Amino acid sequence: MKRCTRCVLPQTHETIVFDNEGVCNICRQHEYKQTVIDWQARKKDLENLIDLYRGRYDYDCIVPFSGGKDSTWTLYHLVREYGLKPLVVRLDHGFLRPNLIENTLRTVRELGVDMHVFTPNWKVVQKLMLQSFLEKGDFCWHCHAGIFSYPMWVAVNYNIPLVFWGEPSAEYTAYYSYGQAEEVDEKRFNRYINLGITAEDMFVRLEGDVAERDLKPFSYPPLKLLRKLNYRSVCLGSFIPWDVKRQSEIISRELGWKGDEVENVPKGYEYEKIECYLQGTRDYIKFIKRGYSRPCHLASIDIRNHRLKRDEAMGMIETHEGKRPPSLGILLEYIGLTEQEFMEIALSHQVSPYQHDTGKTMPGKKVHDFDSWPRYGAMPRKQAEIQLERWNRRNEVFLRAAAGG
Amino acid sequence: MLKRRLIPKLQIKQTRNGTKPRMVLVTTIRFEDFIEIGDPISQAKIYEAQAADELIFLDLDAALQERAILTELVSRIAEEIFMPITVGGGIRCNEDFRQLLSSGADKVSINTAAVEDPDLIRRSSDSFGTQCVVLSIDYRANGNGTNQVYIKGGRVKTDMDPVRWAVEGERRGAGEILLTCIDRDGTRLGLDLQVIREVAKEVSIPVVASGGCGLASHFVDGFIEAGADAVAAGTYFCFKDENPMQTRSQILNAGIPIRLHS
Amino acid sequence: MIGIIDYGMGNIRSVYHAFEMIAAEVTICNNPADLANAERIVLPGVGAFKDCIRNLRAGGFIDALHQAVFVQGKPILGICLGMQAMARRSFEGGEHQGLGWINGDVVHLQPSDVSLRVPHTGWNDIRFNPECPLFEGLPAAPDFYFVHSFYLKCDDDTDIVATCDYGKPLTAAICRGNIFATQFHPEKSQDYGMKLLENFINWKSSC
Repeated sequence: MKRCTRCVLPQTHETIVFDNEGVCNICRQHEYKQTVIDWQARKKDLENLIDLYRGRYDYDCIVPFSGGKDSTWTLYHLVREYGLKPLVVRLDHGFLRPNLIENTLRTVRELGVDMHVFTPNWKVVQKLMLQSFLEKGDFCWHCHAGIFSYPMWVAVNYNIPLVFWGEPSAEYTAYYSYGQAEEVDEKRFNRYINLGITAEDMFVRLEGDVAERDLKPFSYPPLKLLRKLNYRSVCLGSFIPWDVKRQSEIISRELGWKGDEVENVPKGYEYEKIECYLQGTRDYIKFIKRGYSRPCHLASIDIRNHRLKRDEAMGMIETHEGKRPPSLGILLEYIGLTEQEFMEIALSHQVSPYQHDTGKTMPGKKVHDFDSWPRYGAMPRKQAEIQLERWNRRNEVFLRAAAGG
Repeated sequence: MLKRRLIPKLQIKQTRNGTKPRMVLVTTIRFEDFIEIGDPISQAKIYEAQAADELIFLDLDAALQERAILTELVSRIAEEIFMPITVGGGIRCNEDFRQLLSSGADKVSINTAAVEDPDLIRRSSDSFGTQCVVLSIDYRANGNGTNQVYIKGGRVKTDMDPVRWAVEGERRGAGEILLTCIDRDGTRLGLDLQVIREVAKEVSIPVVASGGCGLASHFVDGFIEAGADAVAAGTYFCFKDENPMQTRSQILNAGIPIRLHS
Repeated sequence: MIGIIDYGMGNIRSVYHAFEMIAAEVTICNNPADLANAERIVLPGVGAFKDCIRNLRAGGFIDALHQAVFVQGKPILGICLGMQAMARRSFEGGEHQGLGWINGDVVHLQPSDVSLRVPHTGWNDIRFNPECPLFEGLPAAPDFYFVHSFYLKCDDDTDIVATCDYGKPLTAAICRGNIFATQFHPEKSQDYGMKLLENFINWKSSC
């Protein structure tokens, strides 16, 4: 597999393009971020934007909040630096870790903010998890879609037009570049957030397994409604240069925010991806599909910030990537699959030219709070079979066609 | 430099599920085995956001319905989609062309009607311009190395060879060829490179190849090996963690000139 | 208020919705009198040159356009056939007189490289004059959607503000004072097309 000559992202990474020096476009975006952007001017833009909305509504803005380092930093910065009164909005995806819940408590009490939490119907969520895993090799559709659309409904329903997100996507992918204003809008939602499936599409794909209104929290509000609100939905990282290590240090110091051990993530990166206890499984699936995962992202960011050398990075990813995480067992319960079925499905989503070798898989370590993760609400096998059967039927046809039948 | 094009193919049909009538998007396998995968407007918007180069809409129920359904869909799409749209399915006459073009379609594709009334190609290109007329050709292999054109959604065999028909279509005034291999449709085994290459060699109008993409490398082969100007994919984006922007990057990395997204 | 001329040819809807999408006030001008309400004019066009001119004449638009563009100085944007109509004449389907606003003729695309197909269909990148306000905020070689078999060959280069390469440089856009026109379709060119339309709306005639 070809990798960037500067960082370590491989050719299977979404939207990666190598230039004639073999350097990837994500690295080039980073250069742009460091050298071309006038951050002073962007800061002024931020101040102007805030002034348009401050004090005119019940809340100055919405801050969609996971409790991870990025949303915590965003909240902290807006409250402490600009004195805004935000409505913190969290979509509870169902897999919040104990440390995260404590972090959140400390943060909201220390900063003094209202928080609105929405927990979608677990039975609906399970069906969505299984369906999106089958269709796209990614079980997190409810989370991707919910996190980005639910707060927009809150904006509409509570009349809070300004929405502040955290990290710009150009840190990871080239769906947007630093040169463009990345509006966190329906276009972005459709461009890559929802895996190419909206709530309307999911309804059709589920063939009546859920009702249309069950999917409303995952649907994006119509543009007309949002325009009537005079909405703006932006990334804080479009206005101030994003630096995750520095930001994590600040929130740890000021808010007592604590990092956590994450499955298959090396020491030294405890600030990363601490929100969800299925994160390790998510990474494992990515590895099966694309041959790389979280350690590769972390290493690449560190290389760009001159905190790591490339050969050290390669060593790190060799050591840490691709192990089977213990959380996989929990996912299998939640979506009613056997591990063999899981692997068959994951393998069907491989991105060329990567070819996964199941024979090389080593078991990964349990993290410290594994035993405290809830395991209620396993999916009844009969329900899983309804969705699985549809998928198998379709695949049979593919396989028959492939065999010349 | 003119870029090669990546064109999602959206096929619409009446749903089999639920109590309310509703047009849904389907994928097909060898023109049979329909799988319902989404809402036409929603998917069109997604492809717009993902900066696809064009969209092709085919009404698979066209034999049963009038153009009204398609016309209405095109009108709604024109409100939010700002890229070229080709529309097809049961188009039979200039009036159909006129309705669809004035609703927002840029090109209209004719298939069965062109075979049954080849003069339609000349009449429509004279009235609306050759660039509006796409000749859609579906074909199957005969098993002895030759291929046959099929009409009526793959149900009726003709005595024509796809390459000869493409050449004649150009002569009669078509502005583009949409070539679909029924045997490979939805199989994800790759395009039928040989036939595409032959057609691309024999005509001087653009050729859109369709039927069989399952990997990004299939698109690459269609452009490099077969010389297609554009590749259309119906199934490819629907069941994998792939989207036009990702595929585009992979195609670029193979050295093919294709638009990098906005 | 943007006025889009409806003379029976061209994808009026797409152009209309594109302006709507960028939150501009837009109206359709079905007859010459409607031009009075428009501060800026758009002349779209798809189809054959001679039909275009004939329809414009039959609709009574020729004089009204002359008035609006040359006397009142209203900015106008011609698109595709709309740009070609501004030429002196066209050789499509015989020789036909155009509006004569631009010194150039519309001739058939005949690339010497036989691998280049006609019509020129698809996305092609343009090289533009950075001084031209139409292209403000666009990157160096943006792609736009082209679909045409004939092109505007200008007598000299002064009016040309953008070219694309198709065997040789083709006129992609022209500008003369308050007259703008593009061979490509901005209303079909997604983000960059929208930006160009925004630039047209915001252009102030100070130059």
